[in-house]
Amino acid sequence: MVEGLAIGACYGLFATAVVIIYKTSEVVNFAQGEMAMFSSFVAFHILSAYQYPFWLAFVITMLFSILLGILIEFLFLRPAKHPSILGMIVITLGAEMFLMGLASWKWGAEQKFFSLPLNPSVTYEPVKGMIITNWAIAVFAVTACIMLFLYIFFKFTRLGVAMRATQQNKHAAKIMGIRTERIFSFAWGFSSLIGAVAGMFFASRATLDPAFMMEPFLRAFAAAVLGGLMSIPGVIIGGALMGLIENFFGYFWPHWKPIIAFIVIILVLCLRPSGLFTKHYVKKV
Amino acid sequence: MTLRKKVPFFFVAALAVLTVAGMAQAAMPAGFDDNEIRIGQWGPQTGPAAPWGSVARGSKLLFDIVNEEGGIHGRKIKYFIRDDMYNPAQTVGVVKELVERAGVLAFVGGVGTASGLAVKDYLAENKVIWVGPVGAVDEYVFPAKPYLFAVNTLYADEGSLLAKYVVDKLNTRKIGILYQNDVYGKAGLEGVKQRLAAYKMGLVAEIPVEPTEKDMASQVLRLKNSGAEAVILYVSPTIAVIALKTSATIGFKPQWVSSHTLSDYPLMNKISGGLWEGVITGAVGDIPDSKHPLMVKYREAAKRLAPEERWGVFYYAGIIFADPLVEALKRVGRNLSTDALLKALNSLTGYQTIGPKINWSEKQHQGTDSIMIHKCGPGGSYIKLQDWTANDLAAWKK
Repeated sequence: MVEGLAIGACYGLFATAVVIIYKTSEVVNFAQGEMAMFSSFVAFHILSAYQYPFWLAFVITMLFSILLGILIEFLFLRPAKHPSILGMIVITLGAEMFLMGLASWKWGAEQKFFSLPLNPSVTYEPVKGMIITNWAIAVFAVTACIMLFLYIFFKFTRLGVAMRATQQNKHAAKIMGIRTERIFSFAWGFSSLIGAVAGMFFASRATLDPAFMMEPFLRAFAAAVLGGLMSIPGVIIGGALMGLIENFFGYFWPHWKPIIAFIVIILVLCLRPSGLFTKHYVKKV
Repeated sequence: MTLRKKVPFFFVAALAVLTVAGMAQAAMPAGFDDNEIRIGQWGPQTGPAAPWGSVARGSKLLFDIVNEEGGIHGRKIKYFIRDDMYNPAQTVGVVKELVERAGVLAFVGGVGTASGLAVKDYLAENKVIWVGPVGAVDEYVFPAKPYLFAVNTLYADEGSLLAKYVVDKLNTRKIGILYQNDVYGKAGLEGVKQRLAAYKMGLVAEIPVEPTEKDMASQVLRLKNSGAEAVILYVSPTIAVIALKTSATIGFKPQWVSSHTLSDYPLMNKISGGLWEGVITGAVGDIPDSKHPLMVKYREAAKRLAPEERWGVFYYAGIIFADPLVEALKRVGRNLSTDALLKALNSLTGYQTIGPKINWSEKQHQGTDSIMIHKCGPGGSYIKLQDWTANDLAAWKK
């Protein structure tokens, strides 16, 4: 159950990255997984080629991921003239393929070993039968910190309020003096950073290769739909629910595990299209 | 244009199209001439399955050696490798290009069961010989296809032999299996179950997994709770690594046993962070540092002709899959034709180089039912546990 919650928190964390972009521009960024993959490869490269200590590599990777997000927005989305939402989504698909191709060219398609400085053999058993791994503790701690930061950021900072204003009405925000293009750049950079953190968690659990984030992206998207694409706490809870449901089915009915996430999406879209934790669905006109 | 004028016009146009199409068909190039024999192979040189692309490059080494030694009856081998990125749609494209434009006499190897199944009928329709498909599934050989000759051991036969080893040699009776939910995984499962049924035993856990999954916590926990002392794997490298990593964190330490598809120990040991040490796998070739004279010859040739290549099991599997074709071409002599080559392939019995012993006949194109069994030693090294062993339960031989 704890592992299910931890993987769910990881989906939720990654879904948060999707939601931050969606909240500001209503674009589902299909390059999110590959942005995280690319940043994880950068971390791998710094660790393996330059032999830097992990925490230095982590800081450099975080800076790189912010730059990557800003660059993708600046080079791929901003030049589009009067783009429709569908057009923007197609552009993100192009960015996804570009990043995957670039990673394959630079690092090859072969799987790589990536680890976090956590001893996998150290586990805790607070209650008999409930094993908590170091990885799970790290995921819970990081997710909690990021959630707390996001709450303070969106509630109490000028930039956070400006981001919310841009999401609610881009034109009105512009009239009020908010430089919306900068807001978009910031959202992409910030989202890329959170995605990179989640990407490293996923890579340390499996292997690192150019396609390794495709499946987690789909699960995270399912978690975001479950929780509500507009609600950051909602996607975290959605992710946790997703992890628990998947692991429940994985244990008792393993054949159903791969499809249960998508059955959940369909059910939620039919019964509560705005997600379980979004109060109401606002359609902009 | 009136109707009376239109009818002859369309008739002439249709005739012209059919004539051109017929000419194109007739102009399909032969697979050889007086100076060369053209052979092709598809395989992922880029994309997610690129590590298996070394199979096609391994075959190239054999053809380079043959050419260096003067070719076959005065003809050099011209070899074409095409990258299909492990995508069956692309496989169809590259195979058609090689058959209809380059003109190949035969294909060898070919990574990807789905890719192979996508072109199997096309190759048969065009009477192009295909030797040694890398996938090892019933669909290729049962019933025997006139132009397709399998070298690789069927996953079902391998599964049966791995289960036999676990029961007889490891004396383990609580066996679980983690298998990929596709043709590959199900064939392995079938073989394991067949063997255990012969022992009047059953699996303690039978867990399917999709190749794209990234979380295996629930499946591994179920294996642990089943009491499995040995777990047989018919999965992809990534799934195997996730399973081993997850097991390490929950203190589950069974004897892992795997299909030969995960027998590239240096790679598996590297991507699992050393967890692959101790894993037992099937093998369709001798160990890399074997003292077998032919292994020594090929290994030395690789250093000279392809110094950039790693001498890994998938690389020299390319030699194993292409070797019987070279032997059949030698037996045909100078009067080469597709029919003569088929005759030579159909009469290849008891033929063995660095792979399993191959036996083909007109009615049976599954060449072998044998595997070796190896174990991953320290640092991804190879330990040979068992020499070539045939599957006494292979249903297809009866």
